[in-house]
Amino acid sequence: MKRLWLVPVLVLFIIGCGTQNENLAKGKELIKSDKRRKEERAVREFKLALQRPIDNAEAHYLLGFYNSQEFYEPNTTDWEEASITERGKHMFLAYKEESRKYLERLIFETLRDDDLDIQNAALDALKRVYKQGDRKRLISQLQKAIKSGDNRDRHSAHWVFGHLGKDDPAAIVPILVKLLDHRRTETRLNAVKALGEVGSEEAIPALSAIIESGSARWKRDREEPEVRQLAVEALGKIGGAAVPELVKIVENKGSSLRVDAIRALATLGDEKVVEPLLDALKEQSSRDVLIPLN
Amino acid sequence: MLKKITQLLRPRCFAFIVLIFALALGLGCDNRYYDDRLQMEVQQLDSDLMNRWATSGVVVLDTAPNGPAHKAQLEGGELISYVIVEYPVKSAGDFNSAIKKALDEDNNLILYLKDKDPIRIALRRKGDKLGLSVEGSGTVRVKQIQPGALASNSDIQVGDIVEKIVDEQNINSLADYKKILGKLSKHKFIFRTSELIGVKIAAVTALGDLGDDRSIEPLVDLFKNSTEFSLRKAAISSLQRLVELSVLNDLFQEFQRANVNQLPADSLQASQLESASILGLLTVDRTENTATLKAPFGTQFRHRSETLYRRINEGQIAELAQQYIQIEVEPEQEIRRACLAILGILKPISAIDALIAVLENSTEIPGIRFQAGLALSQVGEPAVDALIAAFESGDTSTKDIAASALGGIGGTKARNRLISALETANEPAIRLTLVDAIAKIGDGPSIRALERQRELYQQEADSGLRIFLDEVFRNLATESM
Repeated sequence: MKRLWLVPVLVLFIIGCGTQNENLAKGKELIKSDKRRKEERAVREFKLALQRPIDNAEAHYLLGFYNSQEFYEPNTTDWEEASITERGKHMFLAYKEESRKYLERLIFETLRDDDLDIQNAALDALKRVYKQGDRKRLISQLQKAIKSGDNRDRHSAHWVFGHLGKDDPAAIVPILVKLLDHRRTETRLNAVKALGEVGSEEAIPALSAIIESGSARWKRDREEPEVRQLAVEALGKIGGAAVPELVKIVENKGSSLRVDAIRALATLGDEKVVEPLLDALKEQSSRDVLIPLN
Repeated sequence: MLKKITQLLRPRCFAFIVLIFALALGLGCDNRYYDDRLQMEVQQLDSDLMNRWATSGVVVLDTAPNGPAHKAQLEGGELISYVIVEYPVKSAGDFNSAIKKALDEDNNLILYLKDKDPIRIALRRKGDKLGLSVEGSGTVRVKQIQPGALASNSDIQVGDIVEKIVDEQNINSLADYKKILGKLSKHKFIFRTSELIGVKIAAVTALGDLGDDRSIEPLVDLFKNSTEFSLRKAAISSLQRLVELSVLNDLFQEFQRANVNQLPADSLQASQLESASILGLLTVDRTENTATLKAPFGTQFRHRSETLYRRINEGQIAELAQQYIQIEVEPEQEIRRACLAILGILKPISAIDALIAVLENSTEIPGIRFQAGLALSQVGEPAVDALIAAFESGDTSTKDIAASALGGIGGTKARNRLISALETANEPAIRLTLVDAIAKIGDGPSIRALERQRELYQQEADSGLRIFLDEVFRNLATESM
């Protein structure tokens, strides 16, 4: 008698089962199985699932995730629909239906995948979110990721920031610059890397400040060597107005970053750097210097 | 109650403040130091620098004008790695006090005896006895050597005249610097500086990559005069890179004349396109039929290409390489190899004799002799006569290398000589090389000559030559398919 409450629960459960998208369920089942060409067959199910009115978000996401041009003859419609941008579009459609869930999933799960195509599809989806979705929430999730204790999250976030920044440096650079003060070294490290990938000259003063902190009087004011090293690399990627900054490092004889600066300059091919490099060659070689003391 | 607590807290509080203060001092430990006595500022080498270059020491940041350091001509940027102190020995007392001082820190000293090489002495443990006593004043001689002690294992003999004792102390940190210099009173001493080779190597490499003609002179200079192998190696590699860039001038001139960064790929010379894309200067898209200079380097280099080409071809580089392929001039084989590579690219006819000399040099390592042959085959037709002469008069290895090089060059003259050699040669190893070289030429007469050989050796089932010939013909058959 006491278990009578189970009846409505059971009824609801059965109704729930009935309303689930069958093709979606079938596709998911396939993925879990060890059948041959399971992904290809699952993708077919996901496509069918999209024609039904329910659970479209998940079907979109899974289609974006599992579809691949490898399944089709080149230049067919199916093949074109499996391109990275099309897959990104599906992931974005999943986001449109269930924003919170899929935003987190894309940033903290999809970007981690080993498959480069999946990473790129997720990046494409996130770029769409930046343009058409809740930009503020996207940025705050990316900030959360780059501040995370998990290296994979930080890496994913720096990558996305780098790409978003290429399209919209005016908005992204200040966000990244602010992250340079974060207490976690690895977060600052990733922010510096992202600034390099953005490649905007607006980041030069902040990166220079990091580099110069190496000769700060107090240890607590000095940035970690690996972050400073990456800041030099980032200046190299920025190029242009960063060249004089890099030359300044080469000319600072006490700096431990001279080699990094020289390497960065070498890739830029700017003939302005020839003279400072020739000067470096003229520096004294090993010798004995007699010091007369009075 | 409250009073009790404050009483309890006060000493702790005090201790806490002291602790914080000490910590702040320790953490904020300055990495710079102004040496009042020498009037210069030095800086601790960054720890990352130490790890990366395995160098240690303190860097001179700046010297005050007319101060002792400035007068000694120490310069900003120099890295002080050793302090060397000399103790002249004029009496037994001098000797004993010098030994004591020199062994005080690191158990190491260098003993200078008249007419002998300096003797390095390292005690195993602090307090170990040197086992050496001296006598005399003015001229101090070794009086006695204790059997079994450290001194008995070295080249020291009773009666040797002791001139001086030298103490070399390594400086690893600013703390070392302060400690060692603090102990020095009125002696003059020597700073031994290390070269920050990493910086120079990076600069040398970058200069090679930049492809600017202004680098040629300084790189040649460094290559000729530096005593540091790694630096010379980097310099010759960079010169090689400049040579590689310069031979692409025709290609870059096409872009420069049209003043564009993209041209149809089929309008350009295929081999140059290939080397340029291997060097990462441009990208070739065959389906779009485009060759695009890579920014920023490729697009900037086209403006410099012409000057570099002219300067490289003034003959100085070929002459330099020609000189340093000789084992008598250059003991480092990696450098000889780089010079051979340079000659292979520049193909100067004037280098033929020098290359033949390397090829024939039996004291040279085989790999390098072979590389000389390769360079000669790159020089091509003009080298044929010299190679034939070398083949005729040389030892087995010379014959071997010369035949391969002739095969690489080809042409009627080389081919005919190889065929007649194959028909008269006796040594199996040479015959194999000849077959290989003739197959490389692969024209009608070559094939016929090889077929004749195959018929001759038909009967010998286990002959290496026959097996090799079979393989050659198999390869020829698949090639023509």
